[in-house]
Amino acid sequence: MRFGVISRISLRHLSSRPFQTFSVISVVALSTALAVVLFLLTQGLRQGLVRAVEPFDIIVSAKGSPYQLVLNTVFLQDAPVGNILWSDCIDLSDDARVESAVPMGFGDSYRGFPIVGTTREILRIRASASGRPWLRVRDGRWFEGKYEAVLGAQAASVSGLTIGGKFRTSHGLSDTGDEHDETYEVTGILSEVMGPYDRAIFVNIEDIWAMHKTRAGTIKTRIAEEPPMDSREATAVLVQPVSYSAAYNLAASYQRDTRMQLVFPAQAAIRLFSIMGRSENFMSIIVHIVSGFALLVTLLALYWSAADRRTERLLLHILGASRRDLIIIVWLEGTFLIMAGVIVGEILGRAGVYAIFRLLSDAAAIEAPISLTLREAAIPASILAIGSICSLSVTIIDRHMGNEPHIGR
Amino acid sequence: MSDSSAPILEIRGLRHDYRQPDGSNQQALKLDSLEARRGERLVVSGPSGSGKTTLLHILAALIRPTHGEVIFSGQNLNGLGASRSTWRAASVGYIFQEMNLLPDFDILDNLLIAAEISNISHNAAIERAKSLISDLVLTDRMRSRPRKLSLGEQQRAAVARAVIHSPVLVLADEPTASLDADNTHIVMKLLLRLCEESQSLLIVATHEETLKKLASRTVLLEKAKSSSSYGELS
Repeated sequence: MRFGVISRISLRHLSSRPFQTFSVISVVALSTALAVVLFLLTQGLRQGLVRAVEPFDIIVSAKGSPYQLVLNTVFLQDAPVGNILWSDCIDLSDDARVESAVPMGFGDSYRGFPIVGTTREILRIRASASGRPWLRVRDGRWFEGKYEAVLGAQAASVSGLTIGGKFRTSHGLSDTGDEHDETYEVTGILSEVMGPYDRAIFVNIEDIWAMHKTRAGTIKTRIAEEPPMDSREATAVLVQPVSYSAAYNLAASYQRDTRMQLVFPAQAAIRLFSIMGRSENFMSIIVHIVSGFALLVTLLALYWSAADRRTERLLLHILGASRRDLIIIVWLEGTFLIMAGVIVGEILGRAGVYAIFRLLSDAAAIEAPISLTLREAAIPASILAIGSICSLSVTIIDRHMGNEPHIGR
Repeated sequence: MSDSSAPILEIRGLRHDYRQPDGSNQQALKLDSLEARRGERLVVSGPSGSGKTTLLHILAALIRPTHGEVIFSGQNLNGLGASRSTWRAASVGYIFQEMNLLPDFDILDNLLIAAEISNISHNAAIERAKSLISDLVLTDRMRSRPRKLSLGEQQRAAVARAVIHSPVLVLADEPTASLDADNTHIVMKLLLRLCEESQSLLIVATHEETLKKLASRTVLLEKAKSSSSYGELS
């Protein structure tokens, strides 16, 4: 019997029972979507965290919660832990164990986009040892003069600011903070870094010092004036060590420091992965239970369908369909059902993950690629394979239950 | 060169037993010998339980007889093995008393599936199916599913389905038992005409006396024993 005829019969069996077909496809789709969401979400979050942490080998800051420091400096969330003196930053940059020390100042924002005060040194930071520079100017140029700003890719696209555009920053990380008097001009827009810093607006840290002293009214600072030495502070210093041993040597020297702390953000990420892993295991059990339930519903539906069509199969057998053809018809029905469920579930799951990451991206700029890797393809493929084998088993069960087309008394 | 007068069907010492739940065998059919030629119209009659349906099942290679041989076109059906389905698809057309059609498919599709199972190409199958449907005055019901048709229309469609691939052997098991006299006449007339056109050997199993008159021969089966006799030409 030609495959075209067999598949036409299977498809017609499905379309002639739309409610049953729809129900089974829905159950399979939901379980697939759940598995896809769990897998892509955890994988995406891991990738997003790794990508976000990658440029930050070591962070030095005022003593405080290391998690708060990582949240603030790496993910641009939460309040800064406190400031360190500029002289400490200078000491770090002069340290033989340090390749580069980039000061960073947080605390202001523009329409929710965090302002990062820094220096040109930040352009030397690389995302990984062999990788390209972390920050690259896509349009325009890096800030040079007073009150110039460079926008992260998302900050530019969402805020609508373009090169030459002017804006004023607010004190604090919310929109409700007091607006500063000074006006910044956009001189450049960065390429996407697929991380929290896409939401950042980079300005010269010296402008922040000047602005805050003016605002406090302690020193009358004009734009052209150099702020006094004692007013210069940084929230954190992003350190790239010359070697691994230098990094651990440096960490040891900060262990007994009462004013400052040294944090390896990667270690915080590893602890976060461990917490995620435990909840992943729990979710994975739920997904397996739901998938098993979906499979059971599919098998029952297939079995009843096969049992109900005994006369039809007998008729087909008399017309010349072999027993193998009849088995393939039932098997194809199951496989079509599961395939449709898997495709719908995959689309639903991916749409769900995309929506979740869009929300995450808007809030924290954690980006996760929505690609289809071999490992991701294993989810629908395995559901399809298991379902397909189970569909075949239905025909065997059906035969043993006495529903096999049988001629004679 | 084939001899048109040579028998296409030869039955020798045919017997079929069914195994009972208690392990004993019950004889369901016994037919010592029978020969038939292309274009013949045989009626198989006999009381209930005499093995009429069993004989048709054996002739369609749906079951193997426990004893004896059935030779069709020089080929022993017992030796068909795995190719029984293929042989049946190409050589046999089968009509039941009712429930002949696939309920999820309309009349045209029912005919096309039968034709395509017999390995007729899709285009040729469509042409032949439409011609038959028109011939059987079912054109306006072509796209109707079986449950929308009357019993008479269903049996006409079943006749078309049975002959769409011009089989050498057409088997009909009580084809008119559910029909009134008018429909019986229409269906049998169509069946005889179409079998004559394709020179098929038609074997009808029936209780009905009226159908015996249409046969070129009658085969009488008896319960637990059988006899074969030439009937009168209709």
